[in-house]
Amino acid sequence: MNKSSSILKKASEYLLTFLVILTLNFFIPRLMPGDPFIFLSSSEGQVTITYSEEQIAKYKAYYGLDKPMIVQYSSYLANLLQGNIGYSIYYNNSVLSVIGKRVIWTVSIVLAAIFISCLIGTVLGSLSAWYRNGTFDKVLYSFIIAISEIPAFLIGIIFLFILAAKLGWFPLSGGIKTFANYSNSIEKVTDILHHAFLPVLTLSIIRLGEFYLLSRNSMIAVLTKDYMRTARAKGLHNKRIIFRHALKNALLPIVTRVFLSLGAVFSGAILVENVFHYPGVGRLMREAVMVRDYVLIQGIFLFVAVTVLTMNLLADIIYRRLDPRVN
Amino acid sequence: MFKKILKSVLAIALVATLGLTGCSNSKPAESKIETTNKPVVINLEGEDVGYPTPFSHYSRGPGNYKMALIFDSLLERGEKGYIPWLADQWDISKDGLTYTFTLKKNVKWQDGTPMTADDIKFSFDYFAKHPPVSNDLAVDNKSFIQSVEAVDAATVRFKVEKPLSILLGKIGNTRIIPKHIWEKVEDPLKFNTPEAAIGTGPFVLKDYNKEQGAYKFEANKDFWGPKPMVDTLQFIPVSDSVLAFDKGEIDLNGKITTDILPKYQNDKEYKVLQNPAFWGYRLIFNMDKRTELKDKDIRQAFAYAIDKNELVEKVARKAAVPGNAGYLPVGHVWFNPKAKNYEFDIEKAKQLLQGKKLSFKLLTSNSNNSSNSNNSNDELRIAELLKISLAKAGIELSINSADTKTRDAAVKKGNYEITLIGHGGWGGDADLLRTAYSPQMTSSQSPSANSIPGYSNDQLNKLFEQQLYEMDAAKRKEIVFKIQELIAEEIPQIPLYNTTGYVVFKPAKFDGWKYMFDHHEVTHNKLSYLDVK
Repeated sequence: MNKSSSILKKASEYLLTFLVILTLNFFIPRLMPGDPFIFLSSSEGQVTITYSEEQIAKYKAYYGLDKPMIVQYSSYLANLLQGNIGYSIYYNNSVLSVIGKRVIWTVSIVLAAIFISCLIGTVLGSLSAWYRNGTFDKVLYSFIIAISEIPAFLIGIIFLFILAAKLGWFPLSGGIKTFANYSNSIEKVTDILHHAFLPVLTLSIIRLGEFYLLSRNSMIAVLTKDYMRTARAKGLHNKRIIFRHALKNALLPIVTRVFLSLGAVFSGAILVENVFHYPGVGRLMREAVMVRDYVLIQGIFLFVAVTVLTMNLLADIIYRRLDPRVN
Repeated sequence: MFKKILKSVLAIALVATLGLTGCSNSKPAESKIETTNKPVVINLEGEDVGYPTPFSHYSRGPGNYKMALIFDSLLERGEKGYIPWLADQWDISKDGLTYTFTLKKNVKWQDGTPMTADDIKFSFDYFAKHPPVSNDLAVDNKSFIQSVEAVDAATVRFKVEKPLSILLGKIGNTRIIPKHIWEKVEDPLKFNTPEAAIGTGPFVLKDYNKEQGAYKFEANKDFWGPKPMVDTLQFIPVSDSVLAFDKGEIDLNGKITTDILPKYQNDKEYKVLQNPAFWGYRLIFNMDKRTELKDKDIRQAFAYAIDKNELVEKVARKAAVPGNAGYLPVGHVWFNPKAKNYEFDIEKAKQLLQGKKLSFKLLTSNSNNSSNSNNSNDELRIAELLKISLAKAGIELSINSADTKTRDAAVKKGNYEITLIGHGGWGGDADLLRTAYSPQMTSSQSPSANSIPGYSNDQLNKLFEQQLYEMDAAKRKEIVFKIQELIAEEIPQIPLYNTTGYVVFKPAKFDGWKYMFDHHEVTHNKLSYLDVK
């Protein structure tokens, strides 16, 4: 098989996946019971305006929801080709702007959390593997397994109560001080980092176990290889053996996991954003599903799908670079 | 210059007094100074409820009330009833078909343009073409306004289709928008510029951040009406309202549970208010699906077999009052205390059932649709308790739960046997009885608008019509009282309980909180922030 035809094959694979996702994104929200305009109940103590039939009919016509599903679908695709991802029904704003203003928050905490959990997890995992079955390994292993079994929101709430409320080291909520006037941009960045600290910490702890276990296993496999014995026989320093010879080879599955775990981290972000009232996409997604804002749900899932597919592609490419055996 | 000097003198005086009073530990003195000199900044728990225009705020949550800080209406909802607002006086013709409002003088839009009768006419005409999110201008889905006429700069005359008793509040509660801004707007849903948030109201929108869910309002210096007592009103994101309140990030906490209540009740620094019972749960029977329920005895058996006090105690943790069989809760201006009350009595329920064994499916929601997930499973808890106590009388319940939207859609389609629904608005005009019980109703404005499938009672229907057309308030009240008695006896649906949540704040910082006569939230009331007696 020559190179260009393999690229073509890959590209068509991605295109097909993308189309399937688009279609599911379109139909699944619309097949859920309920529509964006029915509100009979409200949560306790809250208020809700119930629309009249006439209003519902008007809104449906306004958003084109009165047309047959297939017409809606084709106009969705047509709009998408022009780069128009629609106008949010509930938020009364273009989906691009609604998502755009929040994506930056979520992406930052997600990337930071992946980076931190991957780095720490890998280092700890490698050390654990090196000292496997020793006390250090056993204690660390059970500790990390234990904390990664705690649900994300619980860790978040504990941090919120202790570090933010009791000790007052961090703000209780939000992504940035509301209505603050900063004298310079350093102050602003510090404030943002200050707000992001607990969400990132929580997310990192949740992901830590995954990277730890993966690197530990991968490392153990590598350490039993013949070339490791050679390295040890050469009298190389432990640190050098672990991080230079072993880790480099054990890294492959970890790299793949970094890219593939993105989807999972996003779902963790939903919980964490809720706990800290962080202005990200996670909270938005929850809201959008709850109010059946079809257009916005489509938009968010489109964004997630594109991100995950891109990450897959990147993983594919990087894997080839790292491992010469993959053609 | 003089002001500056005055300010600094006052500041020195303040420091001095603080220093002196500090030793004697007298808090009231300190508070007085605070309120008279410093600008009053009130922070409240916020969430994104949309851009505060009549078209852009969301239907869920208090967006409507944020919008009302900016936009005034002809009448305002006071503590006892409607009070004059943009309109000084009003007159309803004898035949009930003409409403004439005389406007206040010297009212200005926040951009400085004077407001006139033309703006009033324009607003109503515009809303007829483009209904706002919260639309009061319809009865049973039909617009009731025939014409609006600006007689002169200060007089507006409305002609209505039918002489209905409920129109004054509906006309009076409609927001007034500036003609000079909105006459150019073709698509009000997409009109979200700063211009769109210009009204005549006591507060001006200074900042709105959708992602954070933050709003900043400042007092309108040229406000025509009562003086704003709050200079800056901010709604900020909050993760946990108890923590935020204790840390002083917010100045009022409306999410106090019974468990932490004593902490504030026993401390003089705080003041606790209990909300009127205008938010509640009710059990609706679908008599189309289960014709047995057309039998009054069976419905009464349900009413006797439900221990409402237990629900209040165990689910609402005592922050509620048991539902009133006559629907209107205690505290409603037209509540009839003489309506039949069903004390929990299993034996009576058994007698009424005459040994029949019945089983029903109860549809509830399992998800909480607020962003705060504290009280998430109250509906399920109620359902479980109902199941236990009804079983004792011989009625078997099986519980189906679905997410809120799914449940709401099923209820709308009549796809249930018995359902449990919670909503607000129980303090509204007594016509809500008609929308909640009359068979002609399919749906309308109020959240309670959801008639009981398969239920119709000629006597009730006649009374519903009568109260709707009775222009004399005293006579109408009599009819409404009769309706409540009849409803309580017929019990076509069972109000379970109405919540009376608690609100806590520090009176030293701000003590203006007031309720509207028909609503359960002090922070929603714009009169809370104004110097009104």
